[in-house]
Formats: sequence, C-alpha cells, structure tokens
Amino acid sequence: MKRPLIFSSVMAFLFFFLLSFGFAATTLYVTADNAELKTESSSSSDTIVELKRGTPVTLVTTEGRWYQVTTQTSQTGWIYRGKVSEEQPDIEESGDDSAGVGGMLGGLSGSDINADAADSSRSIRGLSPEAKEYAQAAGTPKQSQDALDSVISRKVNEKEIDQFLKEGKIGEYAD
Amino acid sequence: MNRSKNMTKKISYTGRRNFLKLAGPFALLLACPAYAFDLFKVIDPEGKNSDFQKAKQALDGLTGIVQSAEGIDYKSEFTIGETLALEGFQRYGLPVKNEKLQAYVDTLGNALAKNSIRPEIPYFFVVVDTPIYNAFSCPGGIVFISSSLVKGMNDEAELACVLAHEIAHVAHKHALSSVRRAKFFEGAAKIGTLNMKGDDGKQFRDMVGNLQTVLFDKGLDQGMEYEADQSGMDLAYRTGYDPNGLIRVLTMLQQKQATATSKGSWFSTHPPLSSRLEKCDQLIKNYPDAAQMAEVKNRFMSYRNTM
Repeated sequence: MKRPLIFSSVMAFLFFFLLSFGFAATTLYVTADNAELKTESSSSSDTIVELKRGTPVTLVTTEGRWYQVTTQTSQTGWIYRGKVSEEQPDIEESGDDSAGVGGMLGGLSGSDINADAADSSRSIRGLSPEAKEYAQAAGTPKQSQDALDSVISRKVNEKEIDQFLKEGKIGEYAD
Repeated sequence: MNRSKNMTKKISYTGRRNFLKLAGPFALLLACPAYAFDLFKVIDPEGKNSDFQKAKQALDGLTGIVQSAEGIDYKSEFTIGETLALEGFQRYGLPVKNEKLQAYVDTLGNALAKNSIRPEIPYFFVVVDTPIYNAFSCPGGIVFISSSLVKGMNDEAELACVLAHEIAHVAHKHALSSVRRAKFFEGAAKIGTLNMKGDDGKQFRDMVGNLQTVLFDKGLDQGMEYEADQSGMDLAYRTGYDPNGLIRVLTMLQQKQATATSKGSWFSTHPPLSSRLEKCDQLIKNYPDAAQMAEVKNRFMSYRNTM
C-alpha cells in the first residue's frame, strides 16, 4: 500500500522538477557593442530600441539565426544571435583620461578607457607624443612613422560597417 | 606536556592573528591593489608595525606586476602598441600602397571587432608588403597582416578568421601578459611619468625589445595561440562568417610550409600547424551550421586581384 504512494510522490516530484526546468527562462546578455532589437526576424524590419553591451534579455523563442527576446523594460523583439551570449560580458570601465593620474607613460591609474576620446584625438593628432619621442630615441625611419600615422588616422564608422555587411550578405543581412 | 600544548596553542593563535591581519590587504590586493595600500594606511597610519611594513614591501613589489598585467590603462597600452608597430614596419615592410585594399581589410576587421569581447577600443588593420606569411597584433589594437598571407587566401571568411584570431590576442592582452615581468612595469608603477632619454626610457625600450622577440621571433605561449584560435573562430561565426575559414588558412599554410621562409613567419611564431588543425577540427563541431555561413568569395577576390 505504501509503495505506490512513494512511487507516485517521486513521479510527481520529478514531473514538477522537469516542468520547472522546461520553463526556466534563459537569460542572455548583449555582447556586441550595440545591438538593434527589431520588430521582426529580419534586419530590414524596424528597430524598436538599441541595446547596449551587457544588457540582459530573456529568450522567448528562436527562428533560424534570430532570437526573440524580452528586455527588462518589457519590450519584445528580435535580435541577431551573434550579438548575444549566455555569458555576461566583462565590460571595461570608462574613465576620464584627464581625471586620473594619467597613463603609465604619463602615470599609471588602473584601467581607464575612453576610446572615443582616444579615437577622436588620435585622428587629429596621429602618432602620440610618447611614440614620437620613442621614434626619435630609437632612430625610427620617417617612412615607418608616416606609415603608422596613416594607419591610426584611418577611421571606420558604423554606417560603413553596416553597408559592408549588407553588401556581403553577412550575419543579420544574410538571406 | 601541558605547557607545550599551551605554547603550541599560543603560537597557532598568534599565527592565525597575523594571518587575519594580512588577509584583508591580500584579499583587497587581488581585487584592487590601490585599496590594499589605503587599508595599510588606515590600520597602521604611522608605519610603526614592522609586520605590516614587511607585508607592504612584499605587496609593493608584487603590485607592479599585478597592475601592469591586469590593470594597464588603455592609453599606455596603445602607446606600447604604437612603438611596437614602428618596429613592425621596419621588420616586415611598409603598408601595401593600395588604399582600396587597406580600407577593405580595415572595415572587415572593425566589423569583427564590434562583436569581440573587447569592442570598447578602436582597432586598426594594415596589410604590409612582405613575402613572409605572418599576422600579428600590437597591444591596444593595431593589427598587421602580410601581403603574402592575404594572397594565399581564397575568400573573405578566411581573412575574417585570421583577423579575428589577432583581435582575440588584443582583447585577451596576450602580448602584454608575455612581458608582464619586464622591469619597466615595476618602475612605471611608481615613476608616474616617463622620460625616453633616461633610465626609464631604456627600460621602456628593453620591454619593447622583449615584445619584439615574443611577437616577431619566439611567438606567444602556445596556450594563448589556441585560445586565440578558439575566440577567433567564435568571433568570425558570431559576425556571420564560416569559421572553417581558419581551417582552410592553416591547411594552405601547411602546404606552403616546405618552401616558405620560416624566420619571423607564422611557422616559427605559432604552434605546429598539425596540432592547431587538430584542435580546430574539434572546435568546428560546436558550429553545426558553419557551412551555411558567409564565405564571400567574389568580393574578396576582387580586392586580392588588385595586389
């Protein structure tokens, strides 16, 4: 009499255990620099919102290379699978170059990144003063200095990258 | 007997108390070295406790390494990369004079970098004119690829996988980790500013010299290369490219190896191709739809043919 009772209790426990697993929401994190949440599973559909790197979203369903997700602000839409991951990305803290003690070559102040500032100042300035000083001390030929100057003065913008991917039918732009 | 027991108890108690005294700063050191030193100031403001002073000295030496390896600021990292790039142009050759090709490679590299584990920093990609098969990345995001390596490829996915491998090295700060024990970092943690002409300048140039040996001659640690292969394949795939591209490039290099220059090439600076291919063959199983991803042969060939 007792055995069937134990058996049914175990089965009931297993059923609810598996049920809870089946319905456990999968949390994904935006890993790309910026990711667009689309109204449909297509890059040509409207953008609901641009999600920042590290934003958590909940997976609803998948369709090919697209994931339907819900944000913490209850916005539901589609995102290209390559832009999210189950692993939370490490985000380097932004800092102000001028606020810290400076860099190691002008002071060591831990991790501080201000890529935009670095980017814009470099596109105007080219080689950093420290690299110029190094080139002088090491007797680096001018040709090499000019070469580096031209490489780090080049800038690729978001629009060019999107156009590039679209033309090649790559990632979210694939047929 | 009892006395000895009491003594043991006392020693162990003292040891435990000392351990507890140091546990805080040590734990903080691992999390954030700067705060550990602040804690020393709070506990022992006048610096009278010899135990604390000894521990502080030990940590002081260690911190130079910890800060340089893990916490180096982007500006310094990029400047180290710039100086290494200056050496790279002398060692391998100047950029190929083909602006359209350079812009193409730079755009592809940046499209990949946006999906990397470190998209916050700007990346720069340059094709240099050399018969040596090689690609390498300088700290901070300047990536070199040789013209012969590009000429040996057959589609954009192959190029994407090699650039993604190099982006992974930058993102994981592999090159800097390789020279983390350089004397320059120990000094720089204290000096604050650098004079290229003085002793600091010499230490800086020595460190750049070590980096050159690592990147241009000896190669990075094999584990770092395998990690970059894994991250690179994953990055290419997530961007939309066929990760088999890396396997195709490694196979091409295997065929060229017998007749190609070895010194300063991928052959001498990377692990044996056979073991890399073996690992990549395992990794590709993680991407069941890899073959359906983009190869983009025509566009790649249109640029390659201009070389």
